[in-house]
Amino acid sequence: MNQLAELKNINKKYGKKKVLHDVSLTIKEKQVIAILGENGSGKSTFLRIAAGIERPDSGQVLYAPKNLRTGYVPERFPKYLRFTPDEYLHYIGKINGISEIILKQRIPLLLRRFQLDKWSNRRINELSKGNIQKVGIIQAILQQPELLILDEPLSGLDLSAQQELLSIISELKEQKTTILLTYHESSMFEGIVDQTYYIKDGCLAEEMITEKQDMKLIEIKGLIDIDVEEWKEILYSEKREDKLLLYVSSDDSNQILTRVLTAGGSIESVNSTDFNN
Amino acid sequence: MKDVIKYSLHDYIRSHKYFPPISTFFVLILVFYTYKPNPIVDSYAITALFLFVISAWLCLSVLSLDSPVQRQLMILHLGSSYRYYSAKLLTVMLIAVLLTVFAFLYPIIFNMFPDSVSLAVGFISFVNHLLLAALGICVASFFSKVMMESAINAYGGLVLTIILSIAALGIENVLPASFKYTVWLLPPATITQRPLIQWEEESLSSISYLPFLWIVIYTVIILLLFLIMANRRR
Repeated sequence: MNQLAELKNINKKYGKKKVLHDVSLTIKEKQVIAILGENGSGKSTFLRIAAGIERPDSGQVLYAPKNLRTGYVPERFPKYLRFTPDEYLHYIGKINGISEIILKQRIPLLLRRFQLDKWSNRRINELSKGNIQKVGIIQAILQQPELLILDEPLSGLDLSAQQELLSIISELKEQKTTILLTYHESSMFEGIVDQTYYIKDGCLAEEMITEKQDMKLIEIKGLIDIDVEEWKEILYSEKREDKLLLYVSSDDSNQILTRVLTAGGSIESVNSTDFNN
Repeated sequence: MKDVIKYSLHDYIRSHKYFPPISTFFVLILVFYTYKPNPIVDSYAITALFLFVISAWLCLSVLSLDSPVQRQLMILHLGSSYRYYSAKLLTVMLIAVLLTVFAFLYPIIFNMFPDSVSLAVGFISFVNHLLLAALGICVASFFSKVMMESAINAYGGLVLTIILSIAALGIENVLPASFKYTVWLLPPATITQRPLIQWEEESLSSISYLPFLWIVIYTVIILLLFLIMANRRR
């Protein structure tokens, strides 16, 4: 696979808060890459930098074709647009240099696929959150992008729109579009994601569980995150109320269970899980 | 860029944000010409100054139309922040051209002047309106939402700059000799007033063009600075 884009040693700070620290990523053609992380971990910043709409404080973003066609779906698409979806998408298409003939075919088709055709004459500022999000998705795929970046694209979408988005992403993948996305509320993308990365403390780490690795979620009590931070088998830990949730590979789960008990903790539950959930 | 201009004009019309500055301009012109006498060059020099202020106001409102995310999307689709901001400023300039035409034709059509407007006077006055409109737009771009998040700083800063630039002649007179040159930093909104008022309206060759040229140079410099700084703020 040819390289499409490369992010080299990206650093980004907002005020005193360091959001991204020396992050590098190579994006190859036809890849679907998921960037996961907690709220406020810097996922959206990373995506905006990858899309070229935000500058890093230091580091480089290199695109293999200089005029890479990039589509970007923001986490919160603007709510107060005074245009109908049809008008807005026509303007965006024309700004993008898409011919009127193609726009006249493509816009109604996409509006129909997302069941927005019945709202196409209402202004975007009068639409529901989910329908506004659909407009946000359509504006990004209108031009058949070479790189499609989606920031929490499922947020606010109903089930049928989620399915439609999934099928469109699969189609785009077939058509050699590279996709970079972030999500946290669903495992819907699991089947099409080729590579998952995790952002934590401003650093990007390659996730080791994308190859459909069996996972266990162990809920424990009596230990805190500092007690387990040295345990390398733990892929991710999360504090929830008085419990600690440990995500481990199934192969390592017995070893971790033993260590929890030895350290004086108690096991609340052990479940097979999907890390993305 | 043409489509960004169309988009912005369409959006501006729907937003109704054009109403306060444009209606203010119309009222100013109508009220201004109700008092007589109205010497041609002097009257046009004053209405050009009105346009300087109104163009700055128009610029602030046009640049506030797009939310930050919408701005990012437009720049991504257009492929260049320079083209995006140039298109936005051209949108304001187009509106300012229409206001210039109104300010120019209104006193002629309604016979507000004691004499007919000669070609030389008409040309110089029209150009003076356009130059001051462009100056107002470029000055205001620095105080827009693109550069300043706080509306109070933006409007306060712009109002202060406009007041200082209109009062530049008076400020220059009271400043000690060694500080007089600092006035050159202010937008040269009134720099053409004196040559216009002193102009004997005989021919185009009897007026000093240096003040007009300085407005062009000043406008181009701050336009380039704005485009570079706006691009860096991504």
